Amino acid sequence: MLVAPSLASAAESLADWVKHRVDDGLVKPLARAESKRSRFSRERPPPAERRVRVLEASAATDKNGHTFVPFVVDVRYGLDWDENQIVGCAYRESGNLFVKAGNEFRPAAYLLGKRAEAVPGVCEAAPPPSRS
Amino acid sequence: MSRCAGVPRRFFLLLMLAGSLFIAAGSLAYFDFETLPPFVVEKLPLRFETLYLFALRVHVASAAVAFPLCLALVTRTLQRRPRLHRWLGRVAGVVILGALVPSGAGLALAAKGGSAGTLGFLLSGAIVATAVVLGVRAARRGDLIAHRRAMLHVVSQMSVAVSSRALIVAFDRAGLDPDVAYVVALWGPVLASVAGAELVAVRFGLAPVRRALDTARAFFADPSLKGIHREISPLPAPVRARAGRPVARVGR
Repeated sequence: MLVAPSLASAAESLADWVKHRVDDGLVKPLARAESKRSRFSRERPPPAERRVRVLEASAATDKNGHTFVPFVVDVRYGLDWDENQIVGCAYRESGNLFVKAGNEFRPAAYLLGKRAEAVPGVCEAAPPPSRS
Repeated sequence: MSRCAGVPRRFFLLLMLAGSLFIAAGSLAYFDFETLPPFVVEKLPLRFETLYLFALRVHVASAAVAFPLCLALVTRTLQRRPRLHRWLGRVAGVVILGALVPSGAGLALAAKGGSAGTLGFLLSGAIVATAVVLGVRAARRGDLIAHRRAMLHVVSQMSVAVSSRALIVAFDRAGLDPDVAYVVALWGPVLASVAGAELVAVRFGLAPVRRALDTARAFFADPSLKGIHREISPLPAPVRARAGRPVARVGR
């Protein structure tokens, strides 16, 4: 009985941490960059709103042993939400954010125009160790 | 003709010039070689990223030269200076056919909106290239009416750059889905520009049908032919008249 609330609290704090991390590291910088650019262009107009959704209640571990939490960012144009516009993951220890581009993951800074190469193996949960 | 007749034309030219300068100013970000512009980021991963960026910079730079130049070329001021008009026209033609249209065709292959976006940009580019070639050929044979009609299409297709962006902003304000808005804001102005250029051509007697009707009207209005109108067929009247046709060819 005493363990359950603490687990729920830990899960909630992890989700909150990811939301704050994505908000500070990706959503707010994107909004800042969009506020500076010309609206009179062929670029996709900035959305009215972005929301972060954390997909897992607990962190997964990649093949290098680092824990990460997957997330998605939905955007709203008008009244409709366009889900999963950004798919990515946040690393618990380093706070690094990665986002999906095609079939690979790149550092989130690439969405802000920074040149960032794909990082193999990130955001992919390692298979459970086989018991022989 | 009243003094107000040229007001819409001047308003259009000034609006397009302002739009062109606004676009050029907003496109400076494409020449920051350290940072990828959002327009490119949203397309990543691109198969030929370096080539795409090169085509984008060529397209932006050539458009920043060609569009204001074409706007200047349709002003009466430059049309009254045939030598300068000819030389600037040559520069515009080379920039359009050598840089603007080929780079635009390359960019069209990775356009937003899928095949509808690609086809829209390719159609607009094809109209511009064809109209430039026809316009230059018409000017070289001295057919200034056909030249004006062709160049009307060049300028009106170039104006799509401004009208399309304005529509994107308007659709965004209206809360329209940006992917749908993008395609509608492309195809609408492309087709409207073709129709608009033809309407202006008809209005000012540059279109073949209008020219034939004007010829027929002039024929029947000629007082020296009074009395014989009923005795001849009006059919030869709509035959296409060519301005400045060499006399040596008559009666060949």
